[in-house]
Parts: sequence; C-alpha cells; structure tokens
Amino acid sequence: MIVCVSVVGHQNNPLYLQSFTEADDALKLHHVVHCSLDVIDERVNNPKKTGLTLNETFLGLLYPTENYKVYGYLTNTKVKFILVTTDVDVRDADVRNFFRRFHSAYVDAVSNPFHVPGKKITSRSFAERVSTIVKSFGLGGAV
Amino acid sequence: MASFLAQFQSIKTSFDRLIISVEDVSDLWHMVKDEFERRLPFKRACLNSKTHNPVYVEKLPAEFILTTDSRLRSRFPQEQSFFWFREPYATVVLVTCEDLDEFKTILKPRLKLIVQNDEREWFIVFVSKAHPNNDQATKSAKKIYAKLEVDFNTKKRERCCKLDIHGPDANFWEDLDSKIMESIRNTLDRRVQFYEDEIRKLTEQRFMPVWNFCNFFFLKESLAFMFEIAHLHEDALREYDELELCYLETVKAPTSKKREFGGLEHGDDQAALLNTCNKPLSLVVQDDSFREFEFRQYLFACQSKILFKLNRPVEVASRGYSFIISFSKTLALHESMLPFCMREAWVISACLTLIDETSSQYSDGTMPSDLEKEFYRLRGDLFSLSRVKFMRLAYLIGYGMEVERSPVNSAALSMLPWPKPAVWPVLPADASEEMILQYNPRAKLFGIQRRPLPLEPSALLREANRRRASLSAGNIFEIIDNRQSFTDGSGLEASLKTPPSNKFHGSSMTRTNSSPGNFESSLDRPMRISEIHVAAEHALQGTISDPDLWKSLSSPQNFEKKYFELTKGAADNYHHSWWKRHGVVLDGELAAVYHRLENFDLAVKSYEKVCALYAGEGWQDLLAEVLPNLAECQKVLNDQAGYLSSCVKLLSLDKGLFLTKERQAFQSEVVRLAHSELEHPVPLDVSSLITFSGNAGPPLELCDKDPGALSVTVWSGFPDDITLESLSLTLIATYSADEGAKAITSSDATILKPGRNTITLVLPPQKPGSYVLGVLTGRIGNLRFRSHSFSKGGPADSDDFMSYEKPTKPILKVFKPRPLVDLTSAISSALLMNEPQWVGLIIRPINYSLKGGLLHIDTGPGLEIEDSRAIEIGTYNYSLQSGVNNPNVDDGGNNDPVTTEKFTQLTLMDGKIELPDWAGEKDSILWFPIRAMDSRATRGTSSAVPQKPSIVDGMRTIALKLEFGVSHNQTFEKTLAVHFTDPFHVTTRVSDKCSDGNLLLQVIVHSQVKAALTICDAWLDLQNGFDHVRHGDRRPMSSFFPLVISSFSRAGILFGICLGSASIGDQAETLKRESIINIRYGIKGDRNIGAHAPVSLESEPGIKEQNLVFQSAFVLQRPVLDPCLAVGFLPLPTGGMRVGQLVSIKWRVERLKAEDNMVSSDNDEVLYEVKANPENWMIAGRKRGHVSLSMKQGSRIVITIMCVPLVAGYVRPPQLGLPDIDETNVTCNPAGPHLVCVLPSALSSAFCVSA
Repeated sequence: MIVCVSVVGHQNNPLYLQSFTEADDALKLHHVVHCSLDVIDERVNNPKKTGLTLNETFLGLLYPTENYKVYGYLTNTKVKFILVTTDVDVRDADVRNFFRRFHSAYVDAVSNPFHVPGKKITSRSFAERVSTIVKSFGLGGAV
Repeated sequence: MASFLAQFQSIKTSFDRLIISVEDVSDLWHMVKDEFERRLPFKRACLNSKTHNPVYVEKLPAEFILTTDSRLRSRFPQEQSFFWFREPYATVVLVTCEDLDEFKTILKPRLKLIVQNDEREWFIVFVSKAHPNNDQATKSAKKIYAKLEVDFNTKKRERCCKLDIHGPDANFWEDLDSKIMESIRNTLDRRVQFYEDEIRKLTEQRFMPVWNFCNFFFLKESLAFMFEIAHLHEDALREYDELELCYLETVKAPTSKKREFGGLEHGDDQAALLNTCNKPLSLVVQDDSFREFEFRQYLFACQSKILFKLNRPVEVASRGYSFIISFSKTLALHESMLPFCMREAWVISACLTLIDETSSQYSDGTMPSDLEKEFYRLRGDLFSLSRVKFMRLAYLIGYGMEVERSPVNSAALSMLPWPKPAVWPVLPADASEEMILQYNPRAKLFGIQRRPLPLEPSALLREANRRRASLSAGNIFEIIDNRQSFTDGSGLEASLKTPPSNKFHGSSMTRTNSSPGNFESSLDRPMRISEIHVAAEHALQGTISDPDLWKSLSSPQNFEKKYFELTKGAADNYHHSWWKRHGVVLDGELAAVYHRLENFDLAVKSYEKVCALYAGEGWQDLLAEVLPNLAECQKVLNDQAGYLSSCVKLLSLDKGLFLTKERQAFQSEVVRLAHSELEHPVPLDVSSLITFSGNAGPPLELCDKDPGALSVTVWSGFPDDITLESLSLTLIATYSADEGAKAITSSDATILKPGRNTITLVLPPQKPGSYVLGVLTGRIGNLRFRSHSFSKGGPADSDDFMSYEKPTKPILKVFKPRPLVDLTSAISSALLMNEPQWVGLIIRPINYSLKGGLLHIDTGPGLEIEDSRAIEIGTYNYSLQSGVNNPNVDDGGNNDPVTTEKFTQLTLMDGKIELPDWAGEKDSILWFPIRAMDSRATRGTSSAVPQKPSIVDGMRTIALKLEFGVSHNQTFEKTLAVHFTDPFHVTTRVSDKCSDGNLLLQVIVHSQVKAALTICDAWLDLQNGFDHVRHGDRRPMSSFFPLVISSFSRAGILFGICLGSASIGDQAETLKRESIINIRYGIKGDRNIGAHAPVSLESEPGIKEQNLVFQSAFVLQRPVLDPCLAVGFLPLPTGGMRVGQLVSIKWRVERLKAEDNMVSSDNDEVLYEVKANPENWMIAGRKRGHVSLSMKQGSRIVITIMCVPLVAGYVRPPQLGLPDIDETNVTCNPAGPHLVCVLPSALSSAFCVSA
C-alpha cells in the first residue's frame, strides 16, 4: 500500500505531500520524505558511486528499511517525487510506471497558469488524479 | 563427514601457516635449521590465485617440520584426504655425501625412494661440508653434486641446489626461496584443482536426494581455509560468499525438509555474527545441513574475519547492515517459535557488536573521504536500527511515555509491526501492577494541544489480547518447552518477591502452561494494558541474556541513558556522513531528552539546529512540531531575543498549523515582551510576518521638490490587531548606488488588522529618480522590528520563504526639475506711457496644478500698480487669443471675449494675489492695471535730423513670482518687460518760407501704438520770437478734426507762424524757449494687443474718451540772415605737399560784424578746434584752444597749425571749427568740403643701396 506520495521542489522544499494512511500521522511521513532527501542528495552528488546515469530520472529504492520502502524520482528540473510504500514486494516496473504517470500529472498541474512556480500545489484535480494513480498502483493496468 | 566437524574446527583454530616438510637424509637439519628458519616468513611470495593470476603476498608465514615429526606421521590416510590443506606444501631433502661411490650405492637409491611419491613437491639441497682450503674434498663434493644434478634434474625443472657450509654463497638462499615458492605454488595449484573437482562433483548432485550440504560445506570451507592460510584472502572470501549463496538456496529450496531453525538456546539473543567460535558447528549440524540461526551467523563471521584481514571494515559494516536486515526478516518468519522479542534483542546486539568491532578495526584518515562518509553513514544506520528496536522493547515493557512522540520516532515505530509470538506472554503469577502507565503529554507552552503521534502500529491492548486468543494447541508445546528454561530460571527470584496471596495464581499459571485446556479458562478476562507491560517485561527478562541490555531496560532512568547513548551515536555518525538531515533530526531527539532533563542550554542548541534545517527548506509542518519546544526552552533560559524570534516564527508559520487560539497566544507573548523592559533590545526580523508592497497600478509620480503621500499595502500575519508604535519605510533609489536609502516615517501609532492594510505615509520632497521600497521598520512597544519581505499583492503566502527577491517595480517616481508653469505677457505691443493701462499676464500651468498658487507682483522703477481697480482673471483660450485679426476686437474693456468661460476679480494684498481654484488646471489670463511714469517731457525732433525715440526709455519691468504646489514649495520667477510709449512721436519741419516772412510749420505726428488714435484737437504754444500768423489763434491752418490715425501711420498738421520780435513780450515770456504742440486725442485699442484707453476711463463710461492730451516740445530756430564770423582757408604753399613733409596750414578768422549783446558776457576769446582724419594727417601743436579776437567788426586773426600728411593723393585737409559759435553764424571759404593734393614723398638716397 502506498502510504505517501510527495513532490519536493528543487530547493528541497515540500510542494505537495499526500498521505494515504487512516491515522492522523502525516507528520511522520513528512519526516520520512524529508530525510529521504539525504539519500537523493547523496546519489545526485556521487553519481559515480551510485552509478546514477545522467538521464535517468528514476532513482530507485532509497531506503531499504525493514518496514517500509521509499522510492525516488528526480525530474530534470530537480523536482523530486518521493513514494513511501509499506508493500514488501514491489516490482521496479510498477514503481517506474507510477512515477511516469505521476510526473505527467505534475506537469499538468504546474502548467496551470494560476500555479505559481515554486509554491505548493493546491490543485484539487491534481490531488484527485494522484489518488487515482495511487489506487491503481501495482494493479498493472494503465488508467 | 559431519563427524569430522569437531576435528575440522580444532584444526582451523590451531593451524595457521603452511607446512614445509624437511626430509633430513644425512642428519643435517640441526646444522642448517637456524639459517633456514631465518628465511621465514617468506617475503613477497608470488602465488597463483584461483583464477591463475599471480598474487604477491607480502609476508607468507610457513613452518619447517621434519618428516619424522609426530604431527606429520600420526595421520590416517583418510584424515589426510579430508584435511589435505594441512599437508606439507613442499619437501626439502637435505643430503650430503663425500664419496662418489657411497652416493651411487647408498644415497641415490634412497633418494629415488623418497622422491618417487608424485604427490609431493620436493627438491634436494646438497650440503657441502668441504672446507674451501681442502681442494680434494671440494672437488669431490663438486663431482658428487654434478652427479646429483644429472640424476635428479629434469629438463623441465631443476630440483637441486647446493649449500656450502664453509663457503659463503648468497645465491643459495635465493635459489632456495624460489624453489620453495615454486613447490608451494605447484602444490597449491594442484590442491585447488583437487578441491574444485570435488566441489564440482558435489554440485552436480545438488538437486538429487543424495545431496548433502555438510559435505559440500566441508570441501568449500577447506578450500577457503587453504586460501586463507596462503593469505589469498580474496579467494577465501569468494569461497565463503559462494558457500553462503549455496546455503541460502538450500534453505529456501521448496523441497527442503523442515528443519529446526535454532535460536532457542540461552544466549542466542546475543548476536554472534562476528564470532566464528561462538558455537561448535558440530552442535548445529542437523541431518545433512546446519541450523540456520547459527550457521548464517557463522558464515557471516567468517566473511567478516577475512574482510577485516583485508582491512575493509566499511565493507563489514555495509554487509553487516544488510545481513542484519535480512536476518531480522528471517527471524520474523520464525518468530512464533522464538522467545518473545528475540528478534528485537538480536538486532540490538548485532548492531552494537558490529559497531564496536568495525570501529576498533577502523583507523581514521586511511580511507578516501567518500568511503569514510559511507562508513559513518552505515554506523549511523546501525545505531538508529538498534535505537528503534530498543525503543520498541522499552515500549512493550511500559516505557512508552518516556519515548518522545516525535515524527522520527513515530515513523520508525508506528510502521514497525508488533512482535508476533505464537502466544502473547501471560502475566506471571507474582506480578504486581505497580506501574500505572498512561501517556501523559507534557503541557506545552502556549497551550498547544496536538494529537500525539502514534508510536504503535496498532493498539497494543488489542494486539496482545488477540494473540492470546489465537493460541492453538499445535504449537504450544514447542513454546512451552523453550520457555520452561527461563520461567524456571526466574522462578526463584520471582518467588522471593511474590506475596503469599499470589502464590496460588502463580501455580495456576504453571499448570496453565502445561495444559491447553486450562489455558482457555484464563482467556475469560482480557489483560489490561498495565498487565501487558508487566507480562512483557517478565517475558523479556527470559529472552534477554545480555545483562547490560537488561539493565538498561530495568528502569526508566537506565532506559533513558541507553536511549540517549544510541541516539547520540546515530546522530554523531550521521553528521560525519552525507546524511546531514538524519543527524540533525536525531539531534532534535537528543534535545528532547535534554529538555526533559532540564538541561535547557544544550536543548536549545540542538533545537535550533533542527529548526534551522526545517525552516531552511520550508518544512513547516515539521517545524511547527519543534519550534514550540525551542521557544519553551528559550523562555526558561530567559533568552528574550531568541524567544521573541521563535514567537515570531511561530506566528509566521502556515496558519493551518496552529489553532487561532494558539496563534493569539503567540501574539500576546510578543506584545507582552515588547512592552516589557527588554534588557538587550534587539531588532527583530519580522520579514515573514509583516510584508509590504506598493499599491497596484502605476507608481506615484511627483515633480521635483514636491512632497506627497505614499500609500503602501502592509500585510499583517498576526492573528489579531496589532499596534505599531511607529512605522517607517525606506525608499531605495534605483540606478544610483551611492544614494543611501531614505526613510519615510509615520510616527503615529498604526494599528494593523490581520491581513491587508493600507497605510499612507507622508513623503517629504525627494530627489529626482525612481524609488523602490526598501525595508520596513517600526516599533512594537519597546521592540524594534524590521521586515525585508515584499508581498506580491496577493495574500501573504506562508511559504514564500524564498521569495526575498526585490520587486523591480518602482513605487515612486520623482521627475527631474522641469518647467511647471509659464508666465508670459499677453500683450504684443507698447502701452501708453503715463496712463493707467491693463497688462495681461498669461498663466499657463504645464501639467501641474497651480491650485492655491500665490502670485507676487513687484513693479520695477517707474511703474506702479493702480490700486483703484480690481485685478481681473479669466480663462484663456489660446485659439481666440491667437486670432489677432479677430473681428470682435472693439474698444477694449470689460466685454473681453476671452473671459467668456470664467472670470474672477481679485484684489492685490501686500503685492500678491491668490489665484482662484479654477485657475489651477487651466490656462488663465490675468489683467492688472498699471501706470508707467515718465516725468520727462516729450520732445519733438526736427525732420532734418529724424530721431526715433529710444525704446529703452519706455521699457519697464515687472518681477513676478508664483508660489504654488501642495505647500507652496514650488516657485516660478520671471521678470516681464513691458514696453510703454507715448502715443505720438512728433517731428517738425518748416515746409515753406513764405515771401512775406511767414513760415509754414509742418508738425508730423507718428502713431507709436497699435491702436487707432483720433486727434480731436491740436494747438501750438510757440516759443519766444515766434508768433502765430493769426494772432491768438493757436490752432492749425485748417481743421480736419477729428483726424483718425491708424496704427503706425502718420499725419501732418500745418501751422502758420511768423517771426516775432525777440524783444517783444514781458519778462515771463522770455523764459519760454520751447514751442509745445498740444494734441487732444482719443484712443481705440484692444488691450490684448497693446495700447488702449486708459483704465480709469473705462470705469467712467460717461466721460468722453477723447480727452487725452499729448504734449510734445520742440525748439524753433530763428533763421540766421547774416553771419558774424568768416573762416577762410589760406592757400597752401606752392610746390605742393609731400608725404612726411611738415606743412603749415593756416586759416584766417575775421569778425564780420560787431558782436552785440548775445555774447556780451563773454570775453573776446574764440574757441577753435581742428579736426583731421588721423589716418591722413599728423597734427603738431594744439588742436583746440582759445584765440583772442577783438569784438570790433573787421578784426581778424590767422590760426596756423603744423601738420604732416601721411598718405599721398587727394585728401581732405584738416578743418577748423568754432564750437562755441553756431554754424549758421559762420561762413566758410571754401564753403563746402574740399580736397588737397599730397604728393608721394621724395626719394631719399639714404634709403638707396649702391649697386
């Protein structure tokens, strides 16, 4: 189950964070997303070590913790997408697919002329679209 | 094979170097032993890796052992093949012989026998005992050695070398080394090959039933061990890795039999992942394989041992972390079998062991920095993993309230499932529920109330009770079996503490454990949470064998100590790594501990770091969690500045993060502090709270020197109204770096409402330029604040922490000085002198309001303003004015066509008038009456010498000064020149001398003004000596009056006069030396054009206009009929004049008639003056002087002047004049100008140069 998706701006500021947990505990997911920026920073700053190629947007698994997994995605404008899931077995292809759709939703959202670049994304239709993408995650079907 | 495990294990611990056997044939070892052993360990040995690449081993330890040694002799052949790696790697055959025959008969066959074993790598060392001086012996030794070589060397390989005991032979030792090395290499290769073959054979049977992992392990580890003792660590590591892979496959294979997992023994909770000798493998062997719990740890321990030997502690840490994670998962799979919380305890101890071990193996600064960072990161990970597990254990036993419910802890714990034992531990019989545990959050400052973050994945109460219910008979016995040991172990201690009343309960528990049927009965009542904690503590006590760990769980204080230690370890390590955020966040956890322990200084330091991290990247939700804590600590420490700024930060956070009530509490704190006595008042930055911007639309535009009122929008982020004691705003001039910012201030208290406020500030005059807003400063109470932030017109956005960019839009533009108004004269031609006249003044504002303007009028000398009349002002219409030939022009006055629109009468006060309001925007024309004074009488001139009246005489100036603008700050000064003139200019001439002695005097009047003049009447007052032809009638000859003279035209008036006797008349009349022409006239003119009827007449319409009188005086001269003096030019000397020659010119002056009374008072002297063109003449002598001439008729005198002509030709000679005497009284001879001839100068020899 995806517990959280997030968009983080190029200055590491949160632009969008949506949790999908029942409980009122989004703050811990803020923490998880924020800390996972460390991993992204490390990967981006040490491309040699991590084998990150220049054009690869998908950063892969950021955190190999026991109980949840954090995946990252970096757009060419240095905007990061972060996905936190509690699923144990996640197929890489699913995550890639998720991010690709999420990215296009994001692009649509920020292309809104009323959106101020660098500000939080408040679009309701974006939120709806994201929750659709989240719901279909792992089902393998394209929506 | 499993039976050899114990032996294998003991061999591995005792055997640590290669063996080289020594076959001491000739009993020589004792002689050479020391020399041989000095070669050990071998330096820079070259061996082959498994892939047959040469590997250089710096130090290869080895041991020489005689073949007769018990260690080599006592082995069974089967043992040999199992532990082949410990067999000698080379055999040195030591021989000597002094006699050739002996060699052939005894030694050679023996040697052949020794070396026939192909398995062994051997070579022969021939020791020559021959003394170098003993030729015979030396020769014989050489011969034998040669023989030896022939017999044992092959083409491929030399197997002999020779050692001279008495002769130094350095080459021998090198030879020996290389031979030993060659043998070792060959042996190693062969054995590797052997093991490989064996392993391959076994691998082929992998999926067959006969497959036995133990055998495979045996071979694989033997090979690995062999590599290890040969110091081929890389190869050894690879073998272990392969072994691990193979094992995991075996374990995971679906066909594999159900095996015991292990981990049930006492002490198993302490991880042995770095200890190879924790448990003998023989104890963990199970059928054909090993117990997973022990064996995987063993394999990891082997790997790390080699990694440490390779000096790779980072890799140990990195592999270790992955191992712990994966092993923890494995433990989770078997959790129902394992003791309660075994998994957590194991992970904690594994992490700590790994940290300790890698740290001790790691030496600072020897690694590249990125590897070092990685190492610290791993250690941080290990610390935080153990920290999480430790917190979980603590929570279970009821220290949940000690754990800060922070996002980091919540993230770690709430997604970590509860332990899943097959059955939840039950309350021990002796338990007393002394712990009343409830999460009781500290009351936070400002009354902030938050729902605490969860630390538990689900309610522990439900989970624990559910686990009890899920008990099934199938697995209970296993658990009971394992638990029996610890329940028994703790039984003694428990019984000591147990009150007697609980005894029964305790025993019933024991019974319950043995009987599932009875167990059901205890399910009737669910456990309470405190019971769960006590039960968990009890169970944990059985699980945890590490006294240190148990101690740290024994009391909240100890827990906190350990918790702090682990957190700090994690934070410090993360700080050294790339993962700064992790470090800082954990610092926040440390701060929470400090906070709880009331160590506020340290708490503040750490909290500040966390806040800076969150604020810097705009994670407001997280910041809102920490910032109140920081504020609280700062308040306790009485750090007012910090506290204030924290309050301001709290206020500036996203509004949704706090309740209005809380935000109001923040504000009241700020206000309270601001109005209290601040010890060290510091400027407070409220950029995030109070933002400002100029109003939308174009900037305020001001003219130079104008003040203004600047309207600014200020956004207040305060939840309530806030009173600002003062407010000022700096303006920064764009495009001029040198100009400092100028502040404009509103000193009045301003009350800001929440949200948008518009504030108007008084703007003093600014220098020209365009300005943007700079900084907003002000005071709240005693507190000064600043704001640098600009809102962009929209609502103050909470997350515009990055939008500090300056707005480029100017708020104010001050123009360069430019003419704002123009004052011009409305009249184009001269006005009447000495008459009150209207002067028109066009006031033309140039895109600037003259409202309230004040005009100072200062007339110059000879000019005054007529007070009698009011000043008029009217709108000015340029198109009407420009129509000069407007047919509407009539007789001037009030019905002025241009005043159709607006008209006001003004009065002059103290030389100034105030402009009416309507004149502020439009062009207006101001009429004011003035009179130019000229006391001089007008003089007529003779038409013979026509003289124009000088314009300068009629010029008057009016100094004007207009003060205008908002506060009369603008002035405009101008001096207008107004031209005045008489209406006429009079010239006279005698038009005819009649034969009867009468004269016809023509008086010509020139109109000087642009107006129609009407002459109504004219009369002439004559001077003495003249008389009118018609005595008494002073009027002209003919009367055409009224005569209209249009502008700038002229008219003539004829008067008949005759000479009167000069002596006639009384004494009074003799004074009348001038004639005066009097003209009564009227004027019709337009004041827009120039001269017009005098002002005073306008006001009295009844009076006829033609009442103006103009007088002009002129002098008539009586004609001279007989001159009294004659001047004659005397003839020049003959021979003519030459240039440069002195010549005397003579005039004769003769009195023609006796002077009478006219000059009677004078003496008889006559003034003369010689005039000559100085270019032509040089005059010597007096040019001017008096000569005496008798008064008598006929007296004469000659005046002589010496002069030198300067140019040749016909030139005018000097002339003699008599200035005192009127020209008419002098006759001249020759009468007119004449010329004389001047010759060029004569040639002078002095100038000639002889040829």
